[in-house]
Amino acid sequence: MIADEATLTRLTGLAQRGDRQAYAAMLSASRSWLLRYFRRKVPPDQIEDLVQDTLLSVHRKLASYDPERPVIPWLAAIARYRFVDHLRQVYRHAAAAVDDGINIATDDEPALSARLSLDRLFEALPGAQCQAIELVKIEGLSIAEASASTGQSESLIKVNIHRGLKRLAALIERA
Amino acid sequence: MSDHPDTLIAALVDDLRPAAPLYQSRGMAYAVLALLAGAALVTGILGMRPDFAAGRPAALPVIAAGIFLVLALSSASAAIAMARPAVGARRDGWGWTALMAAVLPAGALFLAVQDGMSGLVQAFAPAGLYCLALGSAASVLSAAALIIWLRRGAPSSPPRAGLLVGVAAGSAGVFATSLWCQHDGLPHIGIWHGLTVIVGGIAGRTLLPRLLAW
Repeated sequence: MIADEATLTRLTGLAQRGDRQAYAAMLSASRSWLLRYFRRKVPPDQIEDLVQDTLLSVHRKLASYDPERPVIPWLAAIARYRFVDHLRQVYRHAAAAVDDGINIATDDEPALSARLSLDRLFEALPGAQCQAIELVKIEGLSIAEASASTGQSESLIKVNIHRGLKRLAALIERA
Repeated sequence: MSDHPDTLIAALVDDLRPAAPLYQSRGMAYAVLALLAGAALVTGILGMRPDFAAGRPAALPVIAAGIFLVLALSSASAAIAMARPAVGARRDGWGWTALMAAVLPAGALFLAVQDGMSGLVQAFAPAGLYCLALGSAASVLSAAALIIWLRRGAPSSPPRAGLLVGVAAGSAGVFATSLWCQHDGLPHIGIWHGLTVIVGGIAGRTLLPRLLAW
């Protein structure tokens, strides 16, 4: 079901007042919107989990909707928050997988998906920053080892990690 | 593993309870009440500056108290607005108020440096620690009111919300302290009262995000 924004706004206002029929329609319409929203951001096998997490947040935070304003910016803010949280978990999972010595390329499907999400973000970084983050933050090399491996000076490795992470954070915030 | 979408939606619908919207005006009313309660506690326990009590306040203390009051209200307003997330909403007006308040510590440091070592020693006299501690203690009520409000809402950036709560609570605490504090000089007011806000901001930014995450 695809509802226009005015309808979705009206349904959300009614849901806040306890109208269950309106709430069911609002959640269905929100689900359709969220499927489209996440389709461009995460691998297909993670979309449904993310949509359901977001719907749960919508449910728990229904009071945070201002009935005098359009609903889509509110829904998008909740979706973006869950997306950022999801990326954080994915990043931690990928790092833990490396720490545990698990071969993420062959044995661990969630970790592989995690890498896919990270790779999408890495595409937006300059090569030197991407390489520095990859070697130090994901593969666990020391600054000196990363420097020797890439030919970048140690201070340049540190600068590239700092700038790269800052840029990644900005990308996630804008997503 | 996800539930079937229809199952999840049915469960959520079944669990629906009316949810009163988090109106900005109500949040501000709680914040103002907490600020007034903090001020009432400080003046009730320690008393009010004699010139304030007499209705003939010295110029600098009343101006500084006013600036911290405005900073408390503007940052509290920005924090309260964060309970209602919306992509594209800008809430950075409080930054201009913070910049205005920063004139006090900047001016105090300038004067202290101009006076040389004796000026610095006077500005950083440990007696100011009492104002820092009192201001921090008086900020607890404001911080609690804002944290409770934000936990009911959905702040999309907990670190930023934590910073705003810290600045708002610190400013409210230092406003309450200003009603009692006997010092009239810019070095004391700028450095120690300003420091209370800075400490509040740092504490809020570092300690609160985990509490405000959802």
